[in-house]
Amino acid sequence: MKSMKKVLVLMLSLLLVVGMFGCSKDNDGSGKSTDGIDDSTNVKIGVLVADATGAEALAFRSYYENYIQKQYNVTFMYSDELADAAAEASAIDNFIANNCKAIISFASADRPAQIRKCAENKVYYAVATGTLSDEEYKEFKDNEYYVGAIGPDLYTEYLAGYNMAKYYLDQGKTKFAVFGGATPYYVDMHIYRTAGILVALCEAGGGNYNGASDMGSMIGTIYGMNCQLTPAVIGSVELVSYIGGYDFDDAWFGKLAEAANNPSVEVLLAVGSGLDTFAAFKKPNQFLGTVDAYTADAVKAMEAGTLNYLAGKFSASIGPIFMATLSAVQGKPIRTANGEALALSQGYWVATSADEAKNFYAVDSSTTDPAYTRAMLDTLFGASYDDFAKFVGAFSFEEIQNLKK
Amino acid sequence: MDNEKIIRREKIKNIIFQVAPVVGLIIMFALFMILAVIKDINIPYSMKNILNQSVIVVVVATGAIFIYTLGSFDISLGANMCVSALIGAMAYNRTNSLLAMLAFCLGTAVLISSVCSILASVFNLPVFVTTIAMLSMLNAGVLMLIGANGTGDIVQVPAAAVSAINTTWFKLLVLVAYLAISIFVFNFLKLGRQEKFVGGNPECARLTGLNNSRLAILGFIMAGIGVGLGAFLTITYAPTLSRNTASSVGMDVIISIVFGGMPVSGGSRSKIYSAVVGALSMTLLSQIMLMLNLNSGISQMVKAIIFILVVYISMSDNRKNILPR
Repeated sequence: MKSMKKVLVLMLSLLLVVGMFGCSKDNDGSGKSTDGIDDSTNVKIGVLVADATGAEALAFRSYYENYIQKQYNVTFMYSDELADAAAEASAIDNFIANNCKAIISFASADRPAQIRKCAENKVYYAVATGTLSDEEYKEFKDNEYYVGAIGPDLYTEYLAGYNMAKYYLDQGKTKFAVFGGATPYYVDMHIYRTAGILVALCEAGGGNYNGASDMGSMIGTIYGMNCQLTPAVIGSVELVSYIGGYDFDDAWFGKLAEAANNPSVEVLLAVGSGLDTFAAFKKPNQFLGTVDAYTADAVKAMEAGTLNYLAGKFSASIGPIFMATLSAVQGKPIRTANGEALALSQGYWVATSADEAKNFYAVDSSTTDPAYTRAMLDTLFGASYDDFAKFVGAFSFEEIQNLKK
Repeated sequence: MDNEKIIRREKIKNIIFQVAPVVGLIIMFALFMILAVIKDINIPYSMKNILNQSVIVVVVATGAIFIYTLGSFDISLGANMCVSALIGAMAYNRTNSLLAMLAFCLGTAVLISSVCSILASVFNLPVFVTTIAMLSMLNAGVLMLIGANGTGDIVQVPAAAVSAINTTWFKLLVLVAYLAISIFVFNFLKLGRQEKFVGGNPECARLTGLNNSRLAILGFIMAGIGVGLGAFLTITYAPTLSRNTASSVGMDVIISIVFGGMPVSGGSRSKIYSAVVGALSMTLLSQIMLMLNLNSGISQMVKAIIFILVVYISMSDNRKNILPR
């Protein structure tokens, strides 16, 4: 009889605990959290990726799949690596067929076509870690299915290159080798970073690069050269060597090695993929700076002194665009006062020492307490444009840590 | 009695090998439908999507069967399609005429294909050797064309210009028309039979008086028409072209043809419908993987394993033959 009672009490206690948990998750009986997020229905979100294996791409994916997907009732469907506009269109068709309510895009072969296809099928569309051109934004800003874009704008990209070069110029370095990444493929992001580097060289050297010395003229000059840049003496500083493109063949590696082996080169700068390009060839007396991502390899490289400057996107930077997308899907779109889509810029975390990089990476790679946690993102659900913009604008490591507190 | 049994068993085995790809397609379709219902998928949109994703590969692969039947292959199909699409798009931008675009797509693709086969006959080389050389030339040509166009790294046709023909019906029309012509040429004209003969035993065919070079040129012309139509359909589906356009088509064509039950060595067992069966099977398989939300790495591995199994099974049929191929 006594043991029966014990069992009964245990069962009732269990029921109570289960009931309590049930109530706490579903307190108004409609599956809505206190912030109004509807967690009762699973929301499928398609993710378009042009790069499926890069360190940065994997970090972004990890944040969505290992943190966001576990925190919210959402399922992310990832595309294969998309090489062209046709592949993007196919992937969007796949997502629509699978009842995705929204698409977040990291692919940019034909953004207008992506947006049009999504809007025609009443699927929300957002750009992660990028921006639309002014003309594109003008065309789509009023489209209710275009959520917006959050990522480094082109001026931020320019500054990323400029600040990286200036960091070494301020130390008195004068001989540079530059890896221009996807500049030969007319990728704006890399063109602007390269332009930033060149303008910094012009300012420090007191000269010009093929007649250009400021941002506007430098961009024009780069396009005028069909994005095929050449070495040059710029006043008192020198662009000793320049390599562009991602050929990954023997000739390409040879050029990288040749640049690093040039005894006069003091600093190697990469507008992307610095670890994959210059790191293997860098001499101990040279410095290497890159715009890239915070990865275990990057931290190791900084500890070893192989990498000395890293401007990197943090993986949780794609948290706000997710929340803007979820808000739109659940009927609380975040728009400007005029009803226009988001167009917000984010910057980079810059580490110039191993300790800084380690600190950033620890937060960036966490799947339990990342830079933007659920508690922080929940405040953005259905937020006003101003509040949302203020949150996104406070992107530095310190600002985010303060927001967390 | 024993002999009769063996003959009957062999007949049954032959029939199984003949219908296996179609049965595979039916099973794949059934699996797709079951999953679609369970996962509450938008079935009408999925059907349209499957057609959109298959049609280009079906058209190009159908043409390629004329090459594969000869026991040869063309590694430059994707690059040929990219160049043809770029020239077609540039022609449209100059003339604002879809007909001109179609004509340039077809003309360029047929010309490139013909050059491959003519060079092979002039230098007396296996045709696939010239297609390897052509691949390098076409890749360089793509970069030159994009550079010459002066619009950054893309060549674009206005989306509005092709939206009217970017419909399921138009694609079906192109597909059915080309399939009908190909089936007629392959099954009811001398060309198909002679190609099978050459693919089965080129030396014997030559001694019988067949002109292998002439057959290769005709086969490549038929393949070129498929590539040209594929280029045209690519522009209508995604009118922004880059150096990566059609980069996966070459591999998709090979996989489709094998999935469809076509022997990799060509010859008498070549079937024109292999392209349709294979491309549809491959697309359905991709859709099933997507519905299961498997990551792309796993999907690729599953496809690779199925590919090896299909080739193994199709080749095992040949092992006991006195004259393989």
